[in-house]
Amino acid sequence: MKRLFSILLICALLAPGIIACGRKNTDNTGGKDNNVTTSPGGGAGNEEIVNGKFTKTRKITVEVFDRGNDGGTPPENNFYTDFIKEGVLRDHNIEVTFVPVPRWTEVEQINNRLAAGDAPDICVTYDYPTIQTYANMGGVLDLSPYLEQYKDLLPNLYGLLTETNINWNKNPETGAIWAIEARLANPQRINTFVREDWLKKLNIPEPTTLEEFEDMLQAFKDNAKTLLGKDADKMVPFSISYDVGWRADHLLASYVPDNLSEKDAYIYGFDDRKFLYPGIKEGVRKLNEWYNKGLIWKDFALYGSGDATEDNMMKAGYVGAFIHNWDYPYRNGEDSINNNLKRLVGEDAGYVAVMPFKNDAGFYRKFLPGPVDRKIFFPSTNDEPLASLLYLDWISKLENRMFLQIGEEGVTHEKLEDGSVKMLATKGEKIMNSPNNIDYTITINGLDIGDQELNIKSIALGYVGVDPSYIEKAYKYSVQDGRFAQNYNFGEITAETGMGPALSEKRNTVLTQSVVAAPDKFDTVFDQGYNDYLNSGGQAIIDERRAAWENAMEQ
Amino acid sequence: MIKSKKTRIADWIIAFICFLFILICLLPLVNVLARSLSSAEALIRNEVTLLPVGLNFDAYKTVLGDSKYVWSLIWTAILTGICTIISLIMTTICAYPLVIDGFKGKRLFNTIFIITMYFNAGVIPNYLLLKDLRLLNHPLVLIIPNCLSVFNMIIMRSFFYGIPESLREAAQIDGAGFIRILVKIYLPLSKPVLATLALFYAVGRWNGFSDALMYMNNRKYYPIQLLLYNILNNVMQVEVAAQEGFSTPGLSETLKAATVMFATIPILLIYPWLQKYFIAGVTLGAVKE
Amino acid sequence: MNGSKSEDSRSNKSKKRVKTRAYMKRYWTLYLLMLIPLIYIIIFRYIPMTYIQIAFKKYSIVQNVWEMEWAGNYGFEYFIKAFSNRDFLYALRNTLLLNFLDLLIGFPAPIILALLLNELAFKRFKRLTQTIVYMPHFLSWIIISGLALQLFAPTNGLINIILNRMGFKSIPFLNDPAHWVWTYVLLGVWQSIGWNTIIYLAAITGINPELYEAAAVDGAGRLRRIWHIILPGLRPTIVVLLIMSLGRILGSEFDRPYALSNKLVTSVSNVIATFVYTNGIRGLQFSLTTAVGLFQSVIGVIFLTIANAIAKRFGERGIL
Repeated sequence: MKRLFSILLICALLAPGIIACGRKNTDNTGGKDNNVTTSPGGGAGNEEIVNGKFTKTRKITVEVFDRGNDGGTPPENNFYTDFIKEGVLRDHNIEVTFVPVPRWTEVEQINNRLAAGDAPDICVTYDYPTIQTYANMGGVLDLSPYLEQYKDLLPNLYGLLTETNINWNKNPETGAIWAIEARLANPQRINTFVREDWLKKLNIPEPTTLEEFEDMLQAFKDNAKTLLGKDADKMVPFSISYDVGWRADHLLASYVPDNLSEKDAYIYGFDDRKFLYPGIKEGVRKLNEWYNKGLIWKDFALYGSGDATEDNMMKAGYVGAFIHNWDYPYRNGEDSINNNLKRLVGEDAGYVAVMPFKNDAGFYRKFLPGPVDRKIFFPSTNDEPLASLLYLDWISKLENRMFLQIGEEGVTHEKLEDGSVKMLATKGEKIMNSPNNIDYTITINGLDIGDQELNIKSIALGYVGVDPSYIEKAYKYSVQDGRFAQNYNFGEITAETGMGPALSEKRNTVLTQSVVAAPDKFDTVFDQGYNDYLNSGGQAIIDERRAAWENAMEQ
Repeated sequence: MIKSKKTRIADWIIAFICFLFILICLLPLVNVLARSLSSAEALIRNEVTLLPVGLNFDAYKTVLGDSKYVWSLIWTAILTGICTIISLIMTTICAYPLVIDGFKGKRLFNTIFIITMYFNAGVIPNYLLLKDLRLLNHPLVLIIPNCLSVFNMIIMRSFFYGIPESLREAAQIDGAGFIRILVKIYLPLSKPVLATLALFYAVGRWNGFSDALMYMNNRKYYPIQLLLYNILNNVMQVEVAAQEGFSTPGLSETLKAATVMFATIPILLIYPWLQKYFIAGVTLGAVKE
Repeated sequence: MNGSKSEDSRSNKSKKRVKTRAYMKRYWTLYLLMLIPLIYIIIFRYIPMTYIQIAFKKYSIVQNVWEMEWAGNYGFEYFIKAFSNRDFLYALRNTLLLNFLDLLIGFPAPIILALLLNELAFKRFKRLTQTIVYMPHFLSWIIISGLALQLFAPTNGLINIILNRMGFKSIPFLNDPAHWVWTYVLLGVWQSIGWNTIIYLAAITGINPELYEAAAVDGAGRLRRIWHIILPGLRPTIVVLLIMSLGRILGSEFDRPYALSNKLVTSVSNVIATFVYTNGIRGLQFSLTTAVGLFQSVIGVIFLTIANAIAKRFGERGIL
C-alpha cells in the first residue's frame, strides 16, 4: 500500500513535467525551423501595391525602452507613439504596437521573451555578442536576403545607414546579417576638463602638453588654500573612477604609438578601452605616479558607478580636472555640474575643455568609434520581415525622424534665424522620455536636422546655462585627431562568446589596482593582472583575431 | 520582588548594551531621514550627518504629491495584507499534518518540500511556467507563486511540535476531528509563531520586488520597492550613459532619500502592532493534569 | 498445506484492506489539507525544475528543454568549464570563507541579543529596543553600502577623518582584503541581528512560565536561569535554524557582496553569486549558470543531510 502510494505520488510529480513539455512543443513550432534561412517572400504573404502600402494591414511589434522617468509618459502610448502609429499606418498600412521593456533589466527581459517565443518583432541592443549568441541558438532572423530583395523599397533606410552600416555585421563567408547598425550621427566621445576659474586665479594658461598639465595639477595641489580656503583639505587636483580606461582615455591614448598598424589595432582592439594596445602600461604608470604624489583623488577606487560622491565633489568645487564624457559638466540641465558650481562657488566657476595629451607624432589622438551605435535585430519569431523593414525605413526618413528628434516648434523646440534648433524643456504629454527621443529613433543616435554645421550649433544650444561656445569647443576637441575604428569583419570570433563582461571586470580591476599600487610594486601588479587577463581568455581572442586577419588579408 | 544590588547593576549594564545597539541601528536611518529633509546644496557639500541642513520638505511634497507613489503605497499595502493572510493559511495547513503522529507519508512530504528550498532552475523556467499559466502581468502573479515559504513552514512545524500531544489526545477522546483540533487548540496556542510568520511574510512581500521586476509589466501594479529600485538605479543610469552618450536627469539625492523613507516607514510600523502577540505567550495552564 | 497458506495470505490482505480503510477514514482530512500545498509546490516548484537539466545540455533559447542537445563530456561540459576556471575556484573559496565567518559570528549573535533583550528589566525600554534593533534589516544593500562608504572610506570617511584628527592612521576597512572581510561580516551581522532575534524571542515566550517559578524557588540566579531553562527551551529552534544555515554554506547571496565590493578587494569579494552574474547571466551562458547552481544545490543538500543526521544523534528532532 505504502509502495503504491509512493509510486502514485512520483507519477503525479513527473506527469506535469511531461505535460509541460508537450505544451511547449505546440507553442514553439514557429520558432524551431530556423537554422535554415527562409527564402524571402515565404512570410511576407501578399505583396504591396505601388506606393509602398500593403494591401492587407500588417501588424508588427517594436521594442521600446521604459526608463521609468519621473514625470515621463508611458513609453508605449504617448504623443510620439501616436505620431509614429498614424504615420506608419497611413504610409504603409502597417499597424504598430510598442512593447515596453524596462531599461535596467533589458537583457533579462529579452531573454525571457525569446525563450517564451513572444519577443517583439524589432529588438534593439547595444551589445553585438548578445545577438551573436542568440543567432547561434537559432533565435535571430537572417536579414540579408530581405535587405537584398527589398532594397528598392527602403531608400530612406539605405540612405541613412548606407551600405556601411547595413553590412557592418555581414558574415564574410555565409553572408548572414544578424543585425544592422544604427547610425552614430556624432562621434564625440570623451573630453578633458579643467576648472577655468582656477586657471585664471593662478594665472596659468590652458595646458597644451603633458608637462603643462602635470604642472597645473601640482599647482592646484600647492595652492589649495588660495583656491579652496577652509576646504583646502578637500582639494582633488585630478579625479578619476574605477573605470580607469574611460576616465583617463585621452592620457592613455597619447601613449599609444602613432604608427599602430590597422592589423594590430584590430587584433588588440576588442576591448572598448583599448587595454591591450601597446603603450597603455606607460600611461597607467604616469597615473600611478600622480596618485602617489597625491594628485589624484585618494579614494576613487572604492566608489561604484552609481555613487554620487564624485559628482558631488565636482559640484561643490573641489575637483580641478578630470576626463569624462565629452559634455559631462554641462549635462542634466539645471542640475549640471557647471550650474551647480555657479550656484555654490561663484558666477565664473566652471569647467572648460582642454587638449593637452600629444602622442609621439604630436597628434592629440582620440580613439573614436565607427559610425555605428545600436544594433537592430529581428527575432526568429518575426513573421513580418518586410513590414518591419518598412517600419525602419519610415523612421529613417528625414522628416519623420526630425519630428521625433525635435518635436513641435514652439512646444519642444525653437528655431533660430540661422536654422539651428534649440530644445526646450517640455513637461506634460509632449515630454520626451529620452533626449531627442532616441528610444524611438532607433536607426540614429544623435541630432541630425540635415546639415552637419547646423547640427553642431543645435547641439550646442541644447544645454541650459552654458554658453554655446563651450559646447562647440568641447565638440571640436573631442573629435580632433580622431582615429576611427574601421570595420573588419572576418566572421564570428568564437573566443569572444560570453567573455565580454568578465574580461571588462578584469580590465577595470587591473587598471585600478595598478594606479593605487606603491611605485615599486607597479610593475608586478600590472603585469600580474595583465597576464591574468590574457590567461582568462584574452590571449585566445588575440590568437583567433590574428588568425582571422592573416587568413583574410594576407593570402 | 526586591532585587539584589548585583542584579540591579547587571540590569543597568544590560540596558546600556541595548542602548548601544539602539544607537548603531538607529543612527543610519536617522542619517537617511536627515538627508531627505536637507537642501540639495547641503548634500552636495556632504554636510549632513544626523541633523537636516537647510531644512526643507520639498522632497516629501513631491513624493506625496505624485499619485504614482501614493497609489503604489496603497496597492502594496493591500497586496501585503492579502499575501500575508493567504500565506499564513497555506503554511498552517501544510505544517499541521506533518506533526500528527501516525500520519503516514510524513517523511515523503517533508522531503518533497525541503528539496524545493535547495533546487531552483532560475528565471527563464519560471517565466515560461507563468506564461503558460497566463499569470504574467496579472496581479495574481504577485500573490500566488510565492505564497508558501518552506522555511517558514518548518518554523511553524517546529513550534507545533512544542504543543503537547496530551492536549490533542484529550480532544480526540472527546470526539474532535483533526480540523477542529487545529482551530480550537493549536491555533490559539500559536499566537507567537503566527505573529512571527505574519511579520516575515508581510516584510518579505513588502520588500520584495524581483518577481515584479520580471513578471509584471503593468505599471499600475508595481510594488513600492520596484519604484524605489527604478529611482535608486543610478548604477544602470551611469552605465547606460556611457553607452548612449547621454544621461536622463536622475532624481536629486533628497528625493531618493525621501523615497527610501516613504517605502520603509509603513512596514516599520507593523512590528510594534504585532508585539502584543509576542508578549501573550503560551497559556499552558490547561496542561496541569 | 498450500491451501492454508493462500487462505492466510488472503486473510492478511483483507486485514490490510480493513486497516487501510479505517486509517483513511480517520486521517482523510489531513490529506485534504495537505493537498493544496502539495499541488502548489508541484506546479510552482517542481515543474520549472525540469529545466535544471540544462546544466547538462547546450542551452538554446528557441528549443524546448527536451529537445536541446546534450553537452560534451557526458553532459558535464559546463561543470568542467566552471571548475577549470580559476576565477570560479577563487569564488568558491571566498564563498566558503565568507559564509563560514557569517555563521561563526552571525549565528550566535542574535541568540545572545535575544537573551539580553529578554533580561531587560525596563519593559518600555525593552519594547523600544526590540522595535529599533530590527530596522537595519529594511535597508537595501545599495543604501547600506553608500552609508558604509561615508563612514569607512580611507580618506573621506567620517571615522577615518576622526582617527586622522586624533593622530591615528586610517584603517582600511573597505580597501584592504583582510579588513574588508571583517567589515563585510560585521555589516551583515548588523543588518540581520535584530531581525533574527524575532524568532528567538518568540520561542522564549513559549517556555513554560512554571519553570521560571520553580527556578526562583530554588534560588537560581540570572545566569543559571539562562543556562538551565532558557537555552534548553531555545534548543529546538536553534537546532532547526542551524541545520538550515549549514545547508546554505555554499549559498548565493548576491546583494551584499555586489554592493560592498570594489576593485581593490576582488580577491576576496568575488563569490559564486557574482561569478554567476558576470559570466553566466551577463555573458548569456545559461547552461553554465544552471550547472553552477546545481552544484551549489547538491552540496547544500549534502550538508543539510549530514547536519540533520548529527542533530538526530544528539537526540534532536531534525528537519527531515
